[in-house]
Amino acid sequence: MILIVCVDDDGGMMFNNRRQSRDSAVIKKIAAISSESILWISGYTKELFTDPGGSNIRVSDDPALCAGPGEFCFLEDTSPGKFADRAEKLIIFRWNRRYPSDVKFDIDPDAEDAASGKRWKKESSLDFAGTSHDKITEEIFTK
Amino acid sequence: MRMSIKKTAALSVMILCLLFTGCGTGAGSSDSGSSASAAGSSSVSASHDTAAVSSVLQEQQQTSSSSGKTFSLKHIPAFKNKPYVTVNGNDPTFTKKQLTAKAYEHYSPLDSEGRCGTAVASIGKELMPTEKRGSIGSVRPTGWHLVKYDIVEGKYLYNRCHLIGYQLTGENANSRNLITGTRYLNVDGMLPFENMVADYIKETGNHVLYRVTPVFKGDNLVASGVHMEAESVEDHGKGISFNIYAYDAQPGVKIDYATGDSHLTGKSAGSSDTGGADKNASGTYIINTNTGKFHKPSCYVLSRTKDKNKRKYKGYRKKLIEEGYEPCKICNP
Repeated sequence: MILIVCVDDDGGMMFNNRRQSRDSAVIKKIAAISSESILWISGYTKELFTDPGGSNIRVSDDPALCAGPGEFCFLEDTSPGKFADRAEKLIIFRWNRRYPSDVKFDIDPDAEDAASGKRWKKESSLDFAGTSHDKITEEIFTK
Repeated sequence: MRMSIKKTAALSVMILCLLFTGCGTGAGSSDSGSSASAAGSSSVSASHDTAAVSSVLQEQQQTSSSSGKTFSLKHIPAFKNKPYVTVNGNDPTFTKKQLTAKAYEHYSPLDSEGRCGTAVASIGKELMPTEKRGSIGSVRPTGWHLVKYDIVEGKYLYNRCHLIGYQLTGENANSRNLITGTRYLNVDGMLPFENMVADYIKETGNHVLYRVTPVFKGDNLVASGVHMEAESVEDHGKGISFNIYAYDAQPGVKIDYATGDSHLTGKSAGSSDTGGADKNASGTYIINTNTGKFHKPSCYVLSRTKDKNKRKYKGYRKKLIEEGYEPCKICNP
């Protein structure tokens, strides 16, 4: 599974059952990078995609459990730590802003994965301007 | 364009102010009872919909009173180094009628003590600033003291805190929108919520009904905290919805809210460069490789530290100091 998340400077993902932020430039990127594979999302995330019925998008209550090797999972409303051992790649979109949060990103890319004993390696980091955010950073980690 | 809109609004405020003051609804006296009260009373509106503004303000005054149905300082737990707590299950208390997609902003007149009251706005892109922030140094909110502590980020304990942040409505030196607030309230308590609302509006083009009330206890000159509520209008709260109380407090500093006087507390008082902790202590510490300071793993400052700048260290504290690292003056590891 290639796990995709959006996080703020405090490692937050959601507050009061709502995403902290959104940016259509991020959604376009996610759609583009997953276009040759399957993209799993939850019902909550569905509204972000203009064509959620697209041939490669699958909606599930447990998208991270459904995504197989090589398939993408864009996770918004659940802390992803419990799925870390299933992920072969991690794509983090950083807002470079601070928002309130009560659902956190609970994977430490600098730490060793408890299950596999492997460490994440940062493959790349790219800054780009969003439609409503001055600077978003896309970081890609692999095991 | 933006400036002309604001000037027109300001003129409307002045005219309405004269009219309403004449009706005896000018700056009200504060509730000096034993529990929390929102200072000031509503009287003026730069709104396109005066009835809607009055409704939002009236409800706020009711709910901020000691007998309020959703908010009272009595129900707020003591400050425990957490910048905010949720109120009413995090649900804002606006009614459907109050949620309007017509942009407006309203700042209550100062009360007889000179304190700010509720600020409310239906914020859309049309109210957001298009220019860099101007100076606000000419405003001296109640309880204002120019005081510095080493343990405070940026040194200054107090900031002139916007009730409605500049990035939302572009207000500069508006005395009705600035209170004496700690750095912690400003940066850790209020700013994350302002960021969230601002970015939502920019991305969606929707409006957000936003209400901030400084909560003063009795005749205190410094607010105990601010009550913040917001709800996105066009999507009926699907995008933005919160109801929180942010503490006007600063870890490591004791504040006399009656006057604004302050002093360091506990271990922070008289702390030296090496802190008050046992110098032979050992344990797990987090080093900020960017600042050269080390922290307890639970230190709240770390929440603002980028992961790439964090390094975990297990061992003797004194070894870190020998290597040139400084102990954080807030968590005093």
